[in-house]
Amino acid sequence: MALRILTAIRNLRHKRHLEARLDAEVRSWADLLTDEKIAAGMSPDEARRTALAESGGLEQIKQAVRDRRPGTAFEVFAQDLRYALRQLLRSPAFAALAILTLAIGIGANTAIFSFVNALLLRPLPYPNADRLTILWSGLGYSNRAPFSSFELYQLRQRTTQFDQLAGIWVTNGALPGEGDAEQVKVADTTSNFLPLLCPRPALGRFFGPQDDIPDAPNTIILSHAAWVRRFGSNPAIIGKFVPFGRQKAQVIGVLPASFRLVFPDDASVPPNVEVFSSVPVGPWDPQGPAFLHVIGRLRNGSNIARAQAEADSAVRQINALAGRSSLASFRLYVFSLQADDVREVRRTLLVLFGGVALVLLIGCANIANLLMARARRRLRETTIRAALGASRSRLVRQLLTESLLLGCFGGIAALALGWAATRAILAARPPTFVNFGDVTLDWRVLAFTFAVAICTSMLFGLAPVLATRRLDLTRNLKDSGRQSGWRRRHWSSALVSAEVALAFVLLLATGLLTRTFVNILRLDPGFHPENVFTFRINAPGYAPLHQLQQGLAAIPGVQSVAAISHLPLDDAGNWYDYYWKEGAPAELQNTVMADHRSILPGFFSTIGVTLLEGRDFTDSDDATHQHVVIIDDILARQLWPNGDAIGSKLNISDSPQGPYQFQRDWAVVIGVVRHVQYHSLTAIVRSQIYVPYPLAPRPSMSFVIHTAGVVPNLAGSVRRQVALVNRQMPITHVEPLSLLVDRAHAESRFASLLATLLSVIALLLASIGIYGVLSYSVAQRTMEIGIRMAIGAHRAHVMKMILADGFAWVLPGVLAGVLLSFLVTPLLERLLFGVNPGNPGNYAFILAVVLLVSALAAFLPARRAMKIDPLTALRYE
Amino acid sequence: MDQNQTQNQTNLLQGTLDLLILKAIGAGELHGLGISRRIEQITQGTFRVKPGSLFPALHRMEDAGWLSSGWGESENNRRAKFYRLTKPGHRQLGNETKQWARVALAMTNALKAT
Repeated sequence: MALRILTAIRNLRHKRHLEARLDAEVRSWADLLTDEKIAAGMSPDEARRTALAESGGLEQIKQAVRDRRPGTAFEVFAQDLRYALRQLLRSPAFAALAILTLAIGIGANTAIFSFVNALLLRPLPYPNADRLTILWSGLGYSNRAPFSSFELYQLRQRTTQFDQLAGIWVTNGALPGEGDAEQVKVADTTSNFLPLLCPRPALGRFFGPQDDIPDAPNTIILSHAAWVRRFGSNPAIIGKFVPFGRQKAQVIGVLPASFRLVFPDDASVPPNVEVFSSVPVGPWDPQGPAFLHVIGRLRNGSNIARAQAEADSAVRQINALAGRSSLASFRLYVFSLQADDVREVRRTLLVLFGGVALVLLIGCANIANLLMARARRRLRETTIRAALGASRSRLVRQLLTESLLLGCFGGIAALALGWAATRAILAARPPTFVNFGDVTLDWRVLAFTFAVAICTSMLFGLAPVLATRRLDLTRNLKDSGRQSGWRRRHWSSALVSAEVALAFVLLLATGLLTRTFVNILRLDPGFHPENVFTFRINAPGYAPLHQLQQGLAAIPGVQSVAAISHLPLDDAGNWYDYYWKEGAPAELQNTVMADHRSILPGFFSTIGVTLLEGRDFTDSDDATHQHVVIIDDILARQLWPNGDAIGSKLNISDSPQGPYQFQRDWAVVIGVVRHVQYHSLTAIVRSQIYVPYPLAPRPSMSFVIHTAGVVPNLAGSVRRQVALVNRQMPITHVEPLSLLVDRAHAESRFASLLATLLSVIALLLASIGIYGVLSYSVAQRTMEIGIRMAIGAHRAHVMKMILADGFAWVLPGVLAGVLLSFLVTPLLERLLFGVNPGNPGNYAFILAVVLLVSALAAFLPARRAMKIDPLTALRYE
Repeated sequence: MDQNQTQNQTNLLQGTLDLLILKAIGAGELHGLGISRRIEQITQGTFRVKPGSLFPALHRMEDAGWLSSGWGESENNRRAKFYRLTKPGHRQLGNETKQWARVALAMTNALKAT
């Protein structure tokens, strides 16, 4: 081996010398052979010719020797590379077009892959992330509900497949510190929750068993951001007591800056929780409220199937426990946390991935066509090279080197473009793209980009190889280097058909996604967000809220004011429970779930929710009077199918003393309102029950202010009014209600926007393809067309001929596109809303668009053909 | 020579070319054409080595150290490059001859077996 390397180096250094000697040696061979022939009686000329023929060409012999020389492979590659670069520089327009096409095609793939990598491939930022699971409880129609403290306790007792089972519940709270109090997300967690997801705190300690003792002091752990923002990064805060809620709490720890909660979108566990407090787990109330979202770490060596099987049997035991009669159909589901986190976004991402792959394929087809046309134009040159001793494999290698060089340039440009696209997508991403941390260009993205670049260059690199497959030396040299006839265009036409087919699929998918977006825009959320302005405050109790309501109503231009604990389509924590009517048998008591909303009077008229029956709350509906509730039409139909809801009694749960001490209570239904889409615009998740604020005080309330048109400096007036009531009250989420509706449109807007972008690129590339191939064909057939016209063909006839030529490839492409769409559109099903993927109307519309654009692309070359002057065309030859 | 025969020859030559070259030069130094003619002679015309195979092999064997070369005058006073065996070349000839005998014996026996 060492010898070979040394020889290789020597060969490279003494190349000229080596070449001279090789030349002399081969020449001497030929001379000796000629001498031999002359001695055998041939004439010198004849001897020379026979000798050369027998040898098979002196250049070929020399090349055979060179080819096996150590170091030649490298040298040949360098040669090919130089040659390829020269070729590209010789036609900069072609090179720029090809590299741009590749940059767009590969760049789009890079961008989408960056997300696939960050969301689907990279493990969650937790220790033992592969063993983390999320548990959901199921009861009645719901399969994704939280657990009660009792259920978590019982599960811990009855399972062995989990090392740890931990729970979290997120709500809103006020955080003291420097400046005005601020409203933040607060999480109640079991004491083992944080150690499960975070190796160690940045400061202080995590919760421990000592925090679960009933009379232990209130303790909290701060997020790094809260510690920096509210406490000026002061490490002395550890151990200090700060006001928290109605009491004081001791700060015992600060989390690392990198810590982030990554939960499924529907768990109501947002990534930006700033305060953690601990909640004990115990078997106290078998029918207690379900509020804990539970995660579990599998025991080393266990798996989800085993954990699920064990959980199933634990659930059977729990269902048989005393006091659980009304919850006897409790179910439980175990999923991998990562898979559950991305279950919504996975489909969108994979569909987008498919879309960008189609665009890349179309781009590939275009470059393949360009290369093929170039290869044909260079056929004469290639033939001469073959005649001079270039072997077939060498020629192929050269063509592939050129493609590879294009691919590499394209790949580099694609990285830049992909990076920019990633930033743009991040800026426009819908909320279901959970915060997985940085979508970065890591080694996986780099490797992917270059693998795609190399694979695509090999793919389109095949085209020129096929175009020069049959090198007929004599014919090509005798020919003027101009090819005619149909056969050579077969490959180009097939590629154009493929482009049209792929573009058709993309366009159809885009049509479906865009119609979905339009349908979602048209949906009625159950309220009117126009001219409604909202803000959130930390509620200080009924009297100040009432005072604020009146103060706000007095602002000029304000028509009405009210407040609610959870705005529709907001990301605030949620509150829901089981409700049953008076006299319901035990087995029906825990079957109907509804969202619980605490409101001030006037809420329905302020945001335009229709009151169907009965009356709204008034200021006198408080704890001292008859307890009253208003329900939505769905709950009314569920519990009172006969329509006698008004005046009937309903069992409600409430928490006047705090979140964990609930009191069941009977309340009279005084009104029925239209259902409001609180969670999603497209799905009815739960029905609703509204309770007057004095009966259900909540730590956080959102005000809604309906104005007549635009009120100048409304935010300023609001702040003044709030300050009049309480200077310490933090205001957050100052925004129009329509913004929340916009946010709910984000996902479908995102999908439709990206799909539109992709299909515009696809259609553009496909029409460039049609245009390019047809132009080439017209150029090749100039003489033929000239002759046709000379013998009397009409101009219109020529134009028709070229157009027909173009459509001969477009039509099979469209047909293939239709068939392909039948196969592909079912994959979109989950992203669609109110659109039937098989609707022939969509197909007809896209068909019309594709045919129109194809006709436009074919028209220009056809017009050029029509304008050919027969005399010039014939003289040209 | 028809196409088929050429094909057979090349196939046959693939494994044995080195050995034939070593054997041909074993008797004394020769130039390229001389080696080709000598191989033709000692194989009674079965193998005719084409220059496209011969020269790459010669250069390879020279790089491997089995052959050395020098320029000289041919019998009819032409300048030509002559090849001769080096010491490792002689050893290689011996080894490959033994190796060939083993293979040939094995093949013969194999083909005789019924």
